[in-house]
Parts: sequence; C-alpha cells; structure tokens
Amino acid sequence: MSFTVEPLAPDTVVIRMGEALDFRNADDFKSTFQDQIDADVRNFVLDFSKTAVLDSTGLGSIFSLYRQISPDDGQVAFADVSRPVQVVVQLTRTYKVFRQFPTVDAAEDALISA
Amino acid sequence: MNGITKRYSDLERAIDEVRALLDRWSGRQGGAGEPVPDPQALRYAQLILHEWLANLLQHARFEERTPDVRIRVRTDGAGLTGWVTDNSTGFDLAERLRQQQSRSPSLPERGMGLRIIRACAADFSYRQDENGRYRFTFSIPADHDPWLSTLF
Repeated sequence: MSFTVEPLAPDTVVIRMGEALDFRNADDFKSTFQDQIDADVRNFVLDFSKTAVLDSTGLGSIFSLYRQISPDDGQVAFADVSRPVQVVVQLTRTYKVFRQFPTVDAAEDALISA
Repeated sequence: MNGITKRYSDLERAIDEVRALLDRWSGRQGGAGEPVPDPQALRYAQLILHEWLANLLQHARFEERTPDVRIRVRTDGAGLTGWVTDNSTGFDLAERLRQQQSRSPSLPERGMGLRIIRACAADFSYRQDENGRYRFTFSIPADHDPWLSTLF
C-alpha cells in the first residue's frame, strides 16, 4: 500500500490515498508527507475516492500532518470522500478542521486561489 | 443470512476478511423473514471490529499461544450485536479508556481507537468468561448517532 503524490502548484500537492490508511501504513503516509513538507509544500489535497478504510491511527497521522503545516498557514483538504471515510469524518467532527470538496479539481481551485 | 461467525489465528487476515464480509452483508437484499441490518449500524460495526482487532494485533499478549480469535455479529433486523473472544492475557478496558481519555490532547495522533469504539457502540465490555477466554461484546442500535470530540 503506497501513496502517490502529484504536484498541483509549487506549494500544493494531491496525495492519492489508495485503498486504506490505517495502522499498517500510517508510517508510510507520514514519510510521504514529510518528504513534501521538507520540499516546502504547505497545502495538501487528500484524494479519498478509492479509500475503503480509515482507522484511528490513520486519522492520527492526518492530524500529525495538520499540526506541522498549520503554523505556516498550510491547509489539508479532503477530496472525493468515500462513504467509509465519511463515517469517520462525521463521527470525529473533523470536517470542522479539514475542508471537504467533491472532487480533487474543486479542492485545487479553492486552495490555489486562496 | 442474519450474521457472521468466523474463527481466526491470523489477526491481519481477520481484519480484512471481516470488513469484506460486512460489506457483502450490507449489499444483500433480505429474503422472506431474513433480517437486514441498518446500513449505518453495519458501518459502525466495521469500524468497531477494525479498531478492536487492530488493538489485539498491536497490543494483546498471547504469550506462547497461537492467537485464537472468534468473531460473531448478529442482527435482529435493525441494530447489531457482536462479540470477539480471544485467548490473550486480556487487559482492563475501563482503565485503558481512562488513560486514553486523560492524556488525549486536541487532534491526537494516538489513543483514539478505544474512544472510537465507545462512540460507535451503545454498549460494550471486555471480560473474562467462564472458560478463561476474554470476550469483547458490543451493541449498536439502528438509530445510533455517535460522535467523538477529537477537536477540543
């Protein structure tokens, strides 16, 4: 289970989250976003279109990303959120922190024009 | 079909198979007299079982024993009940929850698993049974509306 990163702008990327973000690959995700932060990326669009599993450890790794970039006015946006991910987002009320968009394109428009 | 019953020694396999089984159950149409669970309750059950099995896989002590985990989920036609028994040395669930609650910062990176289970289930417990095995039980009513504050 790996994560694919695509640049959208010099400081903005989309990460394709794949089938799962859970305790088994959360460290891989953290390595993936850390490489981007080290390269001065500050805005992250997380594409959850194919994601069937988001567990507490996976969500915690997203919180870790947010804590690192928010002091620099960075943003984490959720795009094309699948039903299993939406259950966790609603349960934990994290939609109050992470903006959600119906598509990656909509998230890109919002973040890059901000 | 009114439920699933499975037995595993490989907990990682259990996590993936149980999720797939509950997905298939969610997609079924009930036959005559066949109870169909509430779809949202099924999603909460998936999350509970994932978190519980992940908890066992990462933290349970089986000592020299091969893990023996038995899982059962049933519906009465609306809500769901389930249990997971294991042959680990067990732990004090209430104390572990108190620890998670007391040291949980805003937007925590760790320690949300049991709190998610508590939010998703109307009732749950983890106790040793008469055979010396540990049994985690949970129930989810059809109209359950859970939430967990991770933000403040």
